[in-house]
Amino acid sequence: MNRRAFLIGAATAAACNRGPRLNVFNWSDYVAPDTIPNFEREFGLRVRYGTYESVPEMLAKVMSGNSGWDVVFPSAEYIQPMRDMGLLARLRHDWLPNLGALDSQFQKPPWDPNLEWSVPYMHGATGIVYQKSLGWTPRAWSDLWDSRLAGKLTMLDDPPEVLAACLETLGDSINSSDPGQLKAAQQRAIAQKPLVRAYLNAEVRDQLVSGDVGAAQAWAVTAAQAIAAASERSDGVSVSKLAFAFPSEGFPRYADNVAILRESSRMEAAHHFINYLLRPRVAAAIVETTRTAACNGAAQEFLPEALRSDPVLYPPAETLARGEWFAPQSAAGQRLRDRLWTEIKT
Amino acid sequence: MKLRTTFIAPAAILMAITVLAPLAIIVVYSLLTRGAYGGVELPWTIENFTRIWDPVYGIIFLRSFWIAAVATALCLALGFPLAMFIARSGPRKNLYLSLVILPFWTSFLIRTYAWMFLLRDTGIVNTALQALRIIREPLPLLYNDGAVILGLVYGFLPFMVLPLYATLERLDPSLLEAAADLGSRPWQVLVRVTLPLCTPGIRAGAILVFVPCLGTYLTSDLLGGSKTVLIGNLVQNQFTASRDWPFGAALSLVLMAVAMVLLFAVRNRGEELL
Amino acid sequence: MRRGLAVYAAGAYAFLHVPLLILAVFSFNSSRFAVWQGFSLQWYRAVAADSNLIEASVNSLEIAIAATLAATVLGTLAAYGLWKRGSAWLSGSMYLSLVTPEIVTGASLLALFQWIFRFAHLRLGMHTVILAHVGFSLAYVVVVVLARLRSFDRTLEEAALDLGATEFGAFHRVTLPYLAPAIAAAAMLAFTVSIDDYVITSLVAGVDSQTLPMVIYAMARRGVNPALNAVSTLVVFGLGMLIMLSERLRRT
Repeated sequence: MNRRAFLIGAATAAACNRGPRLNVFNWSDYVAPDTIPNFEREFGLRVRYGTYESVPEMLAKVMSGNSGWDVVFPSAEYIQPMRDMGLLARLRHDWLPNLGALDSQFQKPPWDPNLEWSVPYMHGATGIVYQKSLGWTPRAWSDLWDSRLAGKLTMLDDPPEVLAACLETLGDSINSSDPGQLKAAQQRAIAQKPLVRAYLNAEVRDQLVSGDVGAAQAWAVTAAQAIAAASERSDGVSVSKLAFAFPSEGFPRYADNVAILRESSRMEAAHHFINYLLRPRVAAAIVETTRTAACNGAAQEFLPEALRSDPVLYPPAETLARGEWFAPQSAAGQRLRDRLWTEIKT
Repeated sequence: MKLRTTFIAPAAILMAITVLAPLAIIVVYSLLTRGAYGGVELPWTIENFTRIWDPVYGIIFLRSFWIAAVATALCLALGFPLAMFIARSGPRKNLYLSLVILPFWTSFLIRTYAWMFLLRDTGIVNTALQALRIIREPLPLLYNDGAVILGLVYGFLPFMVLPLYATLERLDPSLLEAAADLGSRPWQVLVRVTLPLCTPGIRAGAILVFVPCLGTYLTSDLLGGSKTVLIGNLVQNQFTASRDWPFGAALSLVLMAVAMVLLFAVRNRGEELL
Repeated sequence: MRRGLAVYAAGAYAFLHVPLLILAVFSFNSSRFAVWQGFSLQWYRAVAADSNLIEASVNSLEIAIAATLAATVLGTLAAYGLWKRGSAWLSGSMYLSLVTPEIVTGASLLALFQWIFRFAHLRLGMHTVILAHVGFSLAYVVVVVLARLRSFDRTLEEAALDLGATEFGAFHRVTLPYLAPAIAAAAMLAFTVSIDDYVITSLVAGVDSQTLPMVIYAMARRGVNPALNAVSTLVVFGLGMLIMLSERLRRT
């Protein structure tokens, strides 16, 4: 068995060395099954595709400047810090002709107005998923403090998100670093804790579908997947047991972006990859698989009607206007938030 | 003696690289300051240690110790009879031993998800109990300390069984026969002869279970619903989401110091673990 | 008492294996969710088609086998050496490796490697993972082997020496056979610890060294995925066959 494993491993390694390479480090579940193979075939490259579950995990690897990765996908609030740390390479727009495909709101995003360092990839928001069988509709974050949800409520296991929800109920900004506001938000979270069944991220999807959870703070992508999974067709129309609400007080928005690491020695290939991702059909295929909202505006016309008009993924502009982007925190702000989060959980 | 030095040398070099050098780095980090976006930078400071002197962290330490202790005790209680069975099963020893280990060659994460699947409100256990009319409403089997302990026991049982088996296996049956011949009943033989002879194995197993349980975080995240922070979660957070490596380093040094003190306290001259 | 033990053991094995059975059953489920909807092999097909998964599995096996071999050999020798005469440094470092939380081991090893790589032109890869795995498995091997050594009669070796054996000869012919069960148990423990490690591996793995736990962790975080059930059932089945085979060989 030892020799066999060695031979297989050697063969795999040999196969990997065929042709020029590109190393892409992305979130898991963020491309369609044929996205990478099609790219490999068209450009004659061999793509090494790795995944991570959180930006800090990715940062720990790339911070040394010698990680071996070429392309990464940081969230918006990490673009400026990564740029300040000297980790990102400047993008050459002459190698990215498809940039025009981006939706107008992402042509000049607040975190990188000239798109010098990053290209927006997928975006979404955080809101409330709930069972229609509840009998009432949660419309605001403060509805998640309703005692009718006791034991059937989940919140995200993500300090910025939970604090954001609490801050929103108090009318403050999600990026606040004011100690008074943050402490008040913490008190709200502690008050809610007896009602909370668990703090869950994407895992909550299955519990929503099975009915274990009545309402959950969730990302739009998780919500879209849960709604789709819990739906049945009746009279040719899809009806789901679940629904999603964008809270009335406001909500956080997130965007994941593509960026090239400065350590990369494969600039041209990396740019080809980004340009390829900007192709409307490619982006549309990814959206169909992952049920996220693409920052690629031109992709919309290639989406099936059901996805294009999905209110969870593509809400109307007035709704989106209530949203707020996450911004980077100062070191002192981060420390205070950590401390408050630890106290909430203790 | 020259042989002994040759035998020890490779392991010593390995430990120097994979344990001592990283430890030195951790000590250095614990005395530095958190960088603006993660990483470490000057100035030197002992603030990371003084920060720990806070009731919040005291509670976390105590709760972690409590859960680890309960899990270890349960592992011992459940693992000892099993180890005894395997040690006495004659020619099939290795088969039975492998059957204990086999589940642990699948992913720990998958096994934990299997337990979540079983224990959910709509899971098999609750559905069966309701069908048998033993309960009317589903029991909250998941997302509490009990579920975490169950997960820990399930995850660390082989670490208790293996050392116990290793010591039980070499137990001279004639000693037990002698005790029986002298009039002891089976229970007395167990308590007065078998158990004392097994203390090295019990000690080994207890340490191999207790210490990792102290540092666990995945189990409390998944089976505990991430509702309580244990030491493992706290340290884990510092190295990932909070990107406060110096504080994480300080916390883990304190944890390691406490664990080392415990190990030292329970050791027995001549019967050391290592 | 014998019958009582057997009954208890049956119960304990059930406890250990029931979750696996559940996983196996649902790996044949045609639906992706936890409700049985018919028999299907689609998840096994999906696993076979997933080159990422297969490559990760091969990597995991390579790493586990290499690390187990190295750790068992080094650990047995070290245990014997410690039994002859203790070494505070060696014992101390092994205690430390046991009490250090995995995240700390991983993060500090990453820092060490990255510091070293500034001078040597190397990167993270299979070699760093294997080194890390041997590092954290060593203490387990030594604990198990040493526990058995403590009950070994020194005079047997002395007798061998008196009869003209070399130091190594005495070790090889007298002590080693006595240690065989403990070495086997220690090897199993080392293999288990290595093949399922996620935290340390994910931190020190390079671009080319994705392992099975890393892939599984990513898949599992998204929720129930029967492909995972298929993977774990395959692993259990494959290894179970191996065990049965070795048991069969032993009997002949």
